[in-house]
Amino acid sequence: MSIRVEEVSKRFSTYPALAGVSLEIVDGEFVALLGPSGSGKTTLLRIIAGLDFPDSGVIRFGDRDVTDDPAAKRGIGFVFQHYALFGHMSVARNIAFGLDILPRRARPARAEIEARVDELLKLVQLEGYGERYPAQLSGGQRQRVALARALARNPRFLLLDEPFGALDTKVRRELRDALRIIHDEIGLTSIFVTHDHEEAFALADRVAILNAGRIEQFAAPAEILERPASPFVTSFVA
Amino acid sequence: MNRRVLLLALSGLVLAPLASCSGGDSGKSGGSAQLLNVSYDPTRELYRDVNDAFARKWQAEKGQKVSFRMSHGGSGKQSRAVIDGLEADVVTLGLGYDIDVIAEKTKRLPANWQARLPSNSAPYTSTIVFLVRKGNPKNIRDWADLVRPGVQVITPNPKTSGGARWNFLAAWGYGRKAGGSDAAAQRYVTQLFANVPVLDSGARGATTTFAERGIGDVLLAWENEAFLAQNELGAGKFEIVAPSLSILAEPPVAVVDENAKKHGTSEVAEAYLRFLYTPEGQEIIAKHFYRPRDAQVAAKHAGRFPQIELLTIDKDFGGWGAAQTRFFSDGGVFDSISGGKSRSGGAR
Amino acid sequence: MSRRSPLQESKAVKWLLIGVAFLYIALILLLPLGTVFYEALRGGVATWMEAVTESNARSAITLTLLVAAIAVPLNVAFGLAAAWAITKHDFRFKPLLLTLIDLPFSVSPVVSGLIYVLLFGAQGWFGSTLQDRGIEIIFAVPGIVLATIFVTFPFVARELIPLMTEQGKSDEEAALSLGASGWQTFWHVTLPNIRWGLLYGVLLANARAMGEFGAVSVVSGHIRGETNTMPLHIEVLYNEYNFAAAFAVASLLAVLALVTLVLKSILEWRHRGAIAARGH
Repeated sequence: MSIRVEEVSKRFSTYPALAGVSLEIVDGEFVALLGPSGSGKTTLLRIIAGLDFPDSGVIRFGDRDVTDDPAAKRGIGFVFQHYALFGHMSVARNIAFGLDILPRRARPARAEIEARVDELLKLVQLEGYGERYPAQLSGGQRQRVALARALARNPRFLLLDEPFGALDTKVRRELRDALRIIHDEIGLTSIFVTHDHEEAFALADRVAILNAGRIEQFAAPAEILERPASPFVTSFVA
Repeated sequence: MNRRVLLLALSGLVLAPLASCSGGDSGKSGGSAQLLNVSYDPTRELYRDVNDAFARKWQAEKGQKVSFRMSHGGSGKQSRAVIDGLEADVVTLGLGYDIDVIAEKTKRLPANWQARLPSNSAPYTSTIVFLVRKGNPKNIRDWADLVRPGVQVITPNPKTSGGARWNFLAAWGYGRKAGGSDAAAQRYVTQLFANVPVLDSGARGATTTFAERGIGDVLLAWENEAFLAQNELGAGKFEIVAPSLSILAEPPVAVVDENAKKHGTSEVAEAYLRFLYTPEGQEIIAKHFYRPRDAQVAAKHAGRFPQIELLTIDKDFGGWGAAQTRFFSDGGVFDSISGGKSRSGGAR
Repeated sequence: MSRRSPLQESKAVKWLLIGVAFLYIALILLLPLGTVFYEALRGGVATWMEAVTESNARSAITLTLLVAAIAVPLNVAFGLAAAWAITKHDFRFKPLLLTLIDLPFSVSPVVSGLIYVLLFGAQGWFGSTLQDRGIEIIFAVPGIVLATIFVTFPFVARELIPLMTEQGKSDEEAALSLGASGWQTFWHVTLPNIRWGLLYGVLLANARAMGEFGAVSVVSGHIRGETNTMPLHIEVLYNEYNFAAAFAVASLLAVLALVTLVLKSILEWRHRGAIAARGH
């Protein structure tokens, strides 16, 4: 399913975080939002997720206007920089959370939920870790759990906010590869936020470069490198 | 699971007590009546006995059970509580002024309340004496000894305590007699209060400060309070010293008409107060070291009360209204001698 | 750990500091507490039992528990709501609300009591209205409950606000992104995250509710067997030179406080795994 961001603006008390941003992401695409801190990239991702709401502008999923829908109604999976795992729940219960809270009518049977958890653990290469608690896992493992949890309800989009930001270089590379494989396997439209242009170029189909609340350029990595749209892009990717 | 344990613990903690709760039943129902007696500090033991005796008598005569709710505290503070809505059927306070204020502020009893019962509505009298430590180590004989350097005097705060106001006036009377003028009196009490290390808010608090905490060399106390402390707190630890001059204290009692009417207790409240004047009531009063009004009972117990020359509030101070305004109201004599800095003791 | 960290003082200083801390606790805390129990039981267990089962003592105990049973749950509800509003949402009058929550800490308990006398006393703002309708607030149980709520209401909120601020909003946002409703988020995510802080707040509020003297003293009217809570009853007994009974009831009050602390320790011990898993 496609995502259309139309003329979205957002101010935080004094400074503008987004100043009339438009963006169209096609179905199945893997997009990176790249920019320095304060460029508005995380705000844009949160507005797409429904965790923040724009002052003006429209968000469409396919043809539907979802601008005023809360996050819970948007059918998204969200991965946070610091994982945001529920510390009092086991890995399995974390992953199953989105299913466990469904109303009785819509909720799959117990066994079905457990099967789904096992399937997701396998997908993120953490088989056998279901009974552990988040505090007993490494950072990379935690982020895999967070990814599995975000995927449990078969979201329409996967949104990741600096998903590798808190990890060291080696784990980062491993996880980056795993994410690309998973994306290709399930073909889910995905957006991730990063300030690291190498990471963006290595992973994404297309990269949107943000600066001061505006999109400077939105194109495939090769095109950005060949034909930077502005002096800012040139210096940022250098 | 954890959550359930937690909730259980929380609800157990806060709800378990409810199971054993019962509302306090008040008022009169069927063949019983209930009186709320709001009293001053030192009368706890007195009214415990009076209440028992009266309840027996009333039950025998009228066939009605009567029970009592007692509230004790500094006389001024108790008066304030009744003004603020504590629904006393009867008030039995340390001095007339505290009941005058209730009458004036709430109109729940008439201004002439003091004329309704015999002897100015005071069923007993008392006076102010000195309580000193065993053997009287500082050799305190009379008022003049209290202003000697190095003598610590314990008295409650006249702002909140009825007893303390009697203490103050007795001291003033002595100062005036010894020096021959009001100026001399003021000099005397100023010196006296310079020797007071702590001002409790009620007579009982002051007694505890002196007797239990061991502070001070001499306690200015109600005569009955002095006797009680001597008896209750280990015989032989204290001695009573009767000064050459003191003041006749007339702690009055009154029915708070409107409250009693509201509770349907007017008759029993009146009978309760009149019971204090009967020989039986007077005997109980004497037993608790208050000076009985009844001549016969008084004669019987005369040996126990020292002969002291006593000033009276009406003759020597122009009545409580005048004394209150002159000495104890804000900006009065007491404020000027204490420089406004009331060194309060324990908060109560 | 036997290795010295660069921050550590020399051994002698370390033991001196520990010794001072223990001595201080012993002098300030344990000695008076021990005295209470010693005095309470000096006359024997029978005397103690008599003092705490005597009818005025029983009604004081009942009243104290009743007041705590009303005030504590109300303040838990308020504390949760206030902490939730302050830490998870942004709104204009946040600093004002924070200041107001602290108010009972900065106001003398006596003043807290007087506020209610001024409002509901016979001479107060609503006094005559209440009197006409026969509603008793001051010098009755409702006044005592109100005064207790007033002095205990910061405890739960104050315990939760720093905790919830530190935890941030991301756990809640994660739950929302996974489709949870606001209530589900609160119940499954927020509450488990704050339960130890909440429990601690409840225990503190409960201890204060049962032990409050000043504010309750002002609104109580001191009617024996009716509006005397345990602390007030202890004062009455003490003032009647009935020291054995005063200390007996005081020891019971201390036991109630200790029971709540022990309860907290037991809960923490039973769930130490879950607490350790939190990683803080």
